[in-house]
Amino acid sequence: MTAIRTNLVKLVVVPAAVFACTLAVLLALNHSHAPDPASLRLGADSGPSLGSAKDPVAAMQDAIRADPARAAAWAGLGQAYLQRARETSDPAFYVRAQRSFAAARRRDGRNVSALVGAATLANLRHDFSGALQLGLEARRVAPALVLPLTVVADAQIELGRYGEAEHTIQRLIDRKPALPAYARASYYRELTGDLGGAVEAMRLAASAGGAPQSRAYVQALVGDLELQRGRTGAARVAYRDALGSVGSYPAAEVGLARLDSAAGRPGPAAARLRRVTERLPQTGYLILLAETELAAGHRRQGERALRLVRAQQRLLRAAGAVPDAELVNFDARHGNSAAAVQLGRRVWRSAPSVRSADALGWALTRAGRPVEGFAWARRAMRMGSHDAAFRLHAGLAAAGAGRRGLAGRYLRQALAARAALSPLQVRDARRALR
Amino acid sequence: MKRLLIALAAIAAVAIAVPLGFGSSHREAPEISLDPAADNTDTYAWTAKDAPGSITVAANWIPGQNPAGGPNFYRFDDKADYYIHLDNTGDGKADVSYLFRFKTKTRNKNSFLYAAPGATGFRDPKLNVIQRYSITRETTTRRHGRTRERSKVIARGLPVAPPNVGPKTFPSYSNFVGAAIRHVPGGGKVFVGARDDSFFVDLGATFDGINVRKLTGNQGQGKDDLSGMSISSVVLQVPERKVTRDHRQVSGSNDRDAVVGVWSTTERKRLSVKRRHGRTRVRNREVQVSRLGNPLINEVVIPLGQKDRFNRTKPNRDAALYGKYAVKPELAGVLNALFHIGAPENNRTDIVQALLQGIPGLNQHRGAKGPPAVDTLKLNLGTPPAAGVENRFGVIGGDNAGFPNGRRLGDDVVDIELQVVAGFLKGNKVPLGDGVDRNDKAFLPVFPYLADPASGFDSAPSTRIEPGHPPVPAGG
Repeated sequence: MTAIRTNLVKLVVVPAAVFACTLAVLLALNHSHAPDPASLRLGADSGPSLGSAKDPVAAMQDAIRADPARAAAWAGLGQAYLQRARETSDPAFYVRAQRSFAAARRRDGRNVSALVGAATLANLRHDFSGALQLGLEARRVAPALVLPLTVVADAQIELGRYGEAEHTIQRLIDRKPALPAYARASYYRELTGDLGGAVEAMRLAASAGGAPQSRAYVQALVGDLELQRGRTGAARVAYRDALGSVGSYPAAEVGLARLDSAAGRPGPAAARLRRVTERLPQTGYLILLAETELAAGHRRQGERALRLVRAQQRLLRAAGAVPDAELVNFDARHGNSAAAVQLGRRVWRSAPSVRSADALGWALTRAGRPVEGFAWARRAMRMGSHDAAFRLHAGLAAAGAGRRGLAGRYLRQALAARAALSPLQVRDARRALR
Repeated sequence: MKRLLIALAAIAAVAIAVPLGFGSSHREAPEISLDPAADNTDTYAWTAKDAPGSITVAANWIPGQNPAGGPNFYRFDDKADYYIHLDNTGDGKADVSYLFRFKTKTRNKNSFLYAAPGATGFRDPKLNVIQRYSITRETTTRRHGRTRERSKVIARGLPVAPPNVGPKTFPSYSNFVGAAIRHVPGGGKVFVGARDDSFFVDLGATFDGINVRKLTGNQGQGKDDLSGMSISSVVLQVPERKVTRDHRQVSGSNDRDAVVGVWSTTERKRLSVKRRHGRTRVRNREVQVSRLGNPLINEVVIPLGQKDRFNRTKPNRDAALYGKYAVKPELAGVLNALFHIGAPENNRTDIVQALLQGIPGLNQHRGAKGPPAVDTLKLNLGTPPAAGVENRFGVIGGDNAGFPNGRRLGDDVVDIELQVVAGFLKGNKVPLGDGVDRNDKAFLPVFPYLADPASGFDSAPSTRIEPGHPPVPAGG
């Protein structure tokens, strides 16, 4: 309170737009996740910003200028940058968000918004132990607030702590059943092999009245789940629905590209993936593009995409970041398999999840150690996952270990959802079945 | 390629793996903490001049609706439950509730347009997206420790008035409005659909704004940030006997059962994370995710750490859970820091009374032990509507038919609450305000009272500035 007195007393002498400025101060003291004063719509959560409202980043920068000591304003700025990052996929905003949260925490170690923001970024960096720590700290500071449960659940899942994750997600649903809770329940169900249940949970989140971005996100995820279930018709409907909400929504375009490949149209598939990766060079999409081109015999284009992925890898290595399991899979298939095993162990150590187990197993199989590879593949499926790539890796490991019957079973299961695999993976599976 | 590498180098500075790493396994959604479809924005309860024997309730949902937001327009969520609750015993528990449930049909699944141009009414096949709703009336009787709940669907298949996409799509939009006004079986009227957002407030000033918009507390010149914006409304008007404890029309303002508490909520489905045998089983299947009685309580009284809890709790627990925030409101300290107005910062039993308990002799529940402090709009059904022009300051302006005795559309709750927190009821009368005195569009003198929404074609949201005028003293 004293800080406000000394800094703001000078600003106002006459009754000004009283509500607006008291609201701005209250927001800065107490602000929640979307620090946009003009869109604070006087209810449970805020809606999207109004047309002519002040830009949230600028609004928070003003608040900081008025009182640089106020932690909440810095945390608000961090949240505004995070929102920008999500909207634009420009990684520079993540950098600014990180600096803002750090500034907030220096001023007040108990600011919940800064703790949750820092945890969000830790999850994005794959520092899941760090994220869990920060999330639990936020829970301690504000036990009645629901938001910290989301970052805690995310970290627990990636750390392979599925029992705790189920408990956390259940709490999330019991307190605030909306998209964030339903999406995580869906993910848990997917990991435990309940694909029908995963779709059911996402459909609860596909709110007709929600923001178009949220609707597109949900429908694209439904599409991916339907691909895993081998239901290509339902997947197509979902992807088109997503594109109806947000034109050129990347995840939906990628989904349609997978359907193109599965229908024997590699040209259009590659064209779609090239268009998407031009705007959003996400690693997973680039890998899919590379494998689609290679499977279609387009060596030059395929190699080009591989080079892009390798460039991303180099930058991550230089930054000392722990990569995602998908890069272990990438190295195993397209790079040095011994290095892939090493990387796989590193990824497993930092994130002992079923995805990491699957990747390490695949690296071992490719490095000529299929018996160990098969053991890890089985470990990846211990929660009951029906993931097509998990099954593919298990089948190829079993084949390498001479267990033809087992290999056949897993490979046929994987091919039943072949639209969820890359064309190269499909080719690998078919060759192993001969 | 070069642009890619530059971008990636930027993130390397903090070793962020996104967008490189997390990929499709990540479950973080855009706008992840928002749930606009469930978001209560305003609740009103009043006695309409043209329906004196009835109670009129309007509940608004879904903020941020720009009329030109096509082709995707916000709708009520088919998967959520939308409630209007009434407490006629004064214990903060719902005695009568009206539940609204929605179902959307899209005629042509290959089109994402709301309608083909020239759609003239609900029956026109050019209307592609049509949402209908049902009304369920729930009653709860609590006697001698026993609770008896009854529930009856009283209407089905009623149409929701769509947003006013534009004159080409809907050449006669009023057809939809007229056809959406329906009779409630058992007596009364109902309307559900797009309306002009009835709230009016200057939200947008930042610290820059203070210098630009001086002298606007009580002299107009505020910018109505919600002007031109739309909202999704439920407007319900039923005879008083449908909501009073003795099931009779109220005889006067001293009638023992004259006061009814009103609030609205949204519920969403709970599910068990793990399914057993392919079925989702839970004991309590719905969770309340939003609620709204008195305006601005969640924004200015309830602190951040308690907002989620506030949204899922019921009014009967308000005193125990949040009483301390009303007795010592942070807003009073902020007002003093900003404007040195001498607002009492402690022992604000006057706020508890005005907003949570009801004003003695005006809108306090009778016969209840207390009266208890519950966040509901307390409307004395026996108070006659204002004879002449309504005073936007309501009770503190001498107009007993206004807020906080219920809430009318034109009551300037921002100015009223600011002045009450500043200490009006304790004799400290400070002329605070936001500089916006009324809604951009005039309210209708007849049902459904809220104004028609702006058309997507000629909307100019958030631009109306209240004309300046001589200073208005506290209380108007």
